[in-house]
Amino acid sequence: MTAVCIRSVGAYAPAFRIEAEEIAEVWGRFEARNIESKAVPDADEDALTMAASACRRALEAAEIDGNDVEWLGFATTTPPLAEEELTPRLASMLGISERAHLQTFTGSTRAGTRAIHSAPSACTALVVASDCPRGEPDDARGHAAGAGAAAFVLDPNGAGSVVEHSEYAAPYPGTRFRRTGSNHIEGIDVTKYERQAFTETLSKAAEAVTADGVTAAAVQAPDGSRPYRAASTLGVERTTIHECATVHELGDTGAASVPLSLARAIDDGHETVLAAAFGSGAGADVLRIEVNGAIPCDCSLTGDRILTYSASLRQQGEITSSGLDTGAAYVSIPSWQRSLPQRHRLVAGRCPDCGALTFPPEGACSGCQMLVEYDPIELWGPGTIETVTEIEQGGAPPEFAAQQARSGSFGVAIIRFERAGERVSLPGQLIEAAAVGDRVVPVIRRVYTQEGIPRYGTKFIPEIR
Amino acid sequence: MPDAYLIGAGQSDFGSFPDESYRSLFATAYENALESVSNELRPEQIDEAYVGTLGVGGRQLGLSGPAVTEHVGLDGVPCTRVENACAAGGFAVRQAVMAVRAGMADVVLAGGFEVMTDASSEAIRYWLGVSGETEWERLSGTTFAGVYAQMARAHMDAYGTTREQLSRIAVKNHHNGAKNDHAHLQFECSLEDAQSASIVADPLTLYHCCPTTDGAACALIASEDVVDAYTDSEPIRVAGVGAASDAIGLFQRETYTGIPASRQAATEAYTMAGVDPDDLDLAEVHDCFAIAELLAYEDLGLCERGESGPFVETGATELDGEIPVNTSGGLKSKGHPIGATGTGQVVEVFEQLSGRAGNRQIENPQYALTHNVGGSGGAAVVHVFERDGPRDEGEKQTEEST
Repeated sequence: MTAVCIRSVGAYAPAFRIEAEEIAEVWGRFEARNIESKAVPDADEDALTMAASACRRALEAAEIDGNDVEWLGFATTTPPLAEEELTPRLASMLGISERAHLQTFTGSTRAGTRAIHSAPSACTALVVASDCPRGEPDDARGHAAGAGAAAFVLDPNGAGSVVEHSEYAAPYPGTRFRRTGSNHIEGIDVTKYERQAFTETLSKAAEAVTADGVTAAAVQAPDGSRPYRAASTLGVERTTIHECATVHELGDTGAASVPLSLARAIDDGHETVLAAAFGSGAGADVLRIEVNGAIPCDCSLTGDRILTYSASLRQQGEITSSGLDTGAAYVSIPSWQRSLPQRHRLVAGRCPDCGALTFPPEGACSGCQMLVEYDPIELWGPGTIETVTEIEQGGAPPEFAAQQARSGSFGVAIIRFERAGERVSLPGQLIEAAAVGDRVVPVIRRVYTQEGIPRYGTKFIPEIR
Repeated sequence: MPDAYLIGAGQSDFGSFPDESYRSLFATAYENALESVSNELRPEQIDEAYVGTLGVGGRQLGLSGPAVTEHVGLDGVPCTRVENACAAGGFAVRQAVMAVRAGMADVVLAGGFEVMTDASSEAIRYWLGVSGETEWERLSGTTFAGVYAQMARAHMDAYGTTREQLSRIAVKNHHNGAKNDHAHLQFECSLEDAQSASIVADPLTLYHCCPTTDGAACALIASEDVVDAYTDSEPIRVAGVGAASDAIGLFQRETYTGIPASRQAATEAYTMAGVDPDDLDLAEVHDCFAIAELLAYEDLGLCERGESGPFVETGATELDGEIPVNTSGGLKSKGHPIGATGTGQVVEVFEQLSGRAGNRQIENPQYALTHNVGGSGGAAVVHVFERDGPRDEGEKQTEEST
């Protein structure tokens, strides 16, 4: 069987961090061992938006676009909806063909490696693991819970090969679980039982994988200590695990934990990497990856926006209302669906007669005022702020009230895009403050939730980030 | 084509009235309008009605026009609801003028009403929000204040307009509104008050924004064929009418420092009336936000483009200035009950041109303008009113003679 090959890597973590000391000051203790800080999603971020960001990076690093992707795998334990296929939305955000094969992996922190292993080796595949687990604020899982996403473009020409893979499963119910309808992970906190499940499954899976020459080991990290307990059973040094560990600054990233560390290892130039994922219940995957050549990477894992504890609670919605489900501007789901190319990829229209750009591409041409059939043209990329204001706290439209309660006032702007000698402007919300003349780039974020359905679209962030 | 005349106008108080309904407010405005006609106008002499409203207390009624006309005993009179967001009332007046000029009616009631203060702040933001571009502008998180704030910022960047100049609009309009018994906010504010108030959407402060208001207003439009039956002397002619619509979203327009629909509507109204901005004696303009009044100065030709900031500083638009603007207090002080705003502007013009404006009466006006904007400029309607009869000796006449 042909090996799955990694062609490029993209990784993303939210810009916000909360430091362990800050949590310890509030609770008198910090129960997530060996974690210095963790990433906190913005109020309008979730597993899907982080996945889109990581995937964009991986595609750009590979110098391909979504249309080249034939297979998409999306791994997460925290899908924004408990039941609904989310990969079509992710595919739309990335411009992946409607005929591509789409697959979701969930229900376990092992989902990321399951997705990598499951990808077909003979075509261009895109695999992303994205997760933002939550725990109770006063327990170890809550203290550890972080966020992040890692994506890999896989195709036969990739320089990184998954040369060995092994898995092992044994029934260990209750080591980590999330009840139906709950957002918070739990555990039975029987330490010896949990450690046994972790080490037994990993060690059994590792028996069939060669550890010789491994210089970095990406190991499942529910906290900053657990992965190191598996070092001996995996046949690697503790320093080898530390070499690419992301848990210490990002926290427990669930299904993205191992893929994120793998992304860091490849980005750092390691040529032989072990990836060892554990999923409670319990099962493990161990992969050996060998790199023979350059793998372009675009990993954005740093974060400089430090939150206080109360701000982090507010941002995550722990101490704010979810907002009323009334009063929002009603745009029906079918209407929204028709605008997805614009929401997800900023597809404008180019007039075939006069060349003027129109956004959204419907109705009379903004240049010649004729009713024409537009040629689609993507505006995705930098734009320039033409005019901007700040919607102050309490003044947001109802559909943004919950977001504003969680993340405070936000900027709105008109942004000018120039393509092929033509200009077009559109309104956009700013993720961070920016001024007239600043360049901003689009990102996918949750716009609002109506009728229980999260709606995703484009917001903007300063280009320098 | 018969000329149209304004033979009467009246309004309810504008404000917050928990004990009033939209019907009772309309009835008050209607009765006041009837009483304002010099000679008796009986209800059965009204041929047609147009009523402007956006939403009734945040609700949507399918027949909100007939709901108020039947309430005041106008059963049998064809009534059409007119809805063009904040310009609903102004467009109702335009419909009335069109009906008269078309020869379809001799006397037409143009009314407007809104009840806004009995809805939650969320419901109000909804109702205001739907008057803008919903799918893209609104869903980028922008409010009406946000859209006008972006216009203000663009104007500041382009022309050096200052927050102090914006604040002068609030000071002036509160000064005028304090003299108007019908106004919602009958208090004066200082420049310091206006500048230091909390920010709503930078650079707009709370004092740069109009209130949400309950109220109703009615105007009575008559054909030249019958005008003499209702007026003693110097009837007020609707000399010019102009209207235009435009892209609803600011981002879809050619400029962020003006409202093209206002400009087009004004040009049309001036041309029809055969007057220039210099001929005007007063204007009631749409000042939902302070920047809107500055933009109106430029769009209506009261000053050059980009000069509205320095223009307001000259005092030209104050009650005793060269061209008083918003003698009623405007939307800022008098209030902005959406559907009633445009007809309310006509009430002020009627009172000024007929010498009934009390302690805010300006001296011997002959030409007056109303300017009503829907949304953030998706629609605009401008009327020029002319009081028949000679001007007394005064500044305008001096200008004309020279």
